[in-house]
Amino acid sequence: MAGASMKDIKLRIKSVESTMQITKAMELVASSKLRRAKERQERAHPYFSELRNTMDRIEMSTTDFFSPYQIRRTIERQCMIVIAGDRGLAGGYNSNVFRYYEALMQRNAVKTCIIPIGKRSYEYFQRRGAEIITDEFIEAAGISVADCFELARLITKGYLAGEFDRVGVVYTRFVSLLTQTTDSVDLLPLMEFKKKQSEPKEKKIEPLVLYEPSAAAVYDAIVPHYISGMIYGAMCESVASELAARRTAMDAANKNASAMIDDLSLRYNRARQGAITQEITEIVAGAEH
Amino acid sequence: MSTFHLTVSTPDGQLFDGEVQSLRLRMLDGDLGILPNHENYVAGVGAGEAVIVTEAGEKRRAACIGGLLSMIDNHANLLSTTFEWAENIDIERARRAKERAEQRISEAKEDKELMLAKAKLERALVRIKVKA
Repeated sequence: MAGASMKDIKLRIKSVESTMQITKAMELVASSKLRRAKERQERAHPYFSELRNTMDRIEMSTTDFFSPYQIRRTIERQCMIVIAGDRGLAGGYNSNVFRYYEALMQRNAVKTCIIPIGKRSYEYFQRRGAEIITDEFIEAAGISVADCFELARLITKGYLAGEFDRVGVVYTRFVSLLTQTTDSVDLLPLMEFKKKQSEPKEKKIEPLVLYEPSAAAVYDAIVPHYISGMIYGAMCESVASELAARRTAMDAANKNASAMIDDLSLRYNRARQGAITQEITEIVAGAEH
Repeated sequence: MSTFHLTVSTPDGQLFDGEVQSLRLRMLDGDLGILPNHENYVAGVGAGEAVIVTEAGEKRRAACIGGLLSMIDNHANLLSTTFEWAENIDIERARRAKERAEQRISEAKEDKELMLAKAKLERALVRIKVKA
């Protein structure tokens, strides 16, 4: 073995082993957290989908309906919520988000202000000197429904005051354990139900509903809840994606580590054998004389 | 006794799904009672006590704060930001929250702080009232 003594190799094996212990632990933690993140998302789902249904029902059943959230203004300034992780060591998870964001910005360059979620996201935009609206929601893992409500109130207020004309969110969609794709959705202005369904297959007659105090008031009261649901959903997906990405990355790290250990043990055994052979040769050579 | 179907959902999951005889809860502008075959109705929910009489005639009380109630074709759907059954309310925690909120209100300098503290106080008071 050229250069490496038995002791050196032994030391390297030890160091790789301890790294492997860490990556293994991280993988296990990520898997169990991932399960919880998915459950959290599933629990919240019926609540927010029913909100959307109610909004759709209002849009469908009332003709003289008008909401400031639906008006399309010329976009002079937009607000982007960018969700990334709190930590690294998750493969390309964070960099994918930022790469996606940059590509998105190149396609439509307008003045943009940022609401970062996730420490990595905050650091990234701070370093680039972007305009950051609030840094209250930095920790992605700890964000609760209540935080999302707060955030939704903030953006709906800003939107109504004309501070920005479009609100979007960049997040990572959880496709499967092995696949996560970066994606973006528009939160405001709201998509119109009538336009969304270009060709209604069956014309359903909506029941007459009494809205109190009025359809528009109920609608506008739901909007912040709906927005917060959208944000919460995106959050949950992103957190799950981060954990899945980390799990995959750690799994790969584990495999690499065991391959390295195999390689190093082989080298160690060769070095040992070489040393023994040399010793025997020396003894034999000594006896001949 | 005729009944209607009620589901209660919060962001933390579905808390009730079944037939009930009646539902009473605090809306934005006062209490509202819902009985079977109520007219189709959608309105915002305020902060207060909710009382549900189940099919078996059992009365269940809960703290219900914020959200939306819809009653469509004899199916009531309560979407609440916070919905806690009386038996699940942690009274000690609510009392502590109340004290903290009161303290914050007296110390608040900004409008935003005051608003937040007031909202917290309201939630704590609703919980204490329902539990009592």
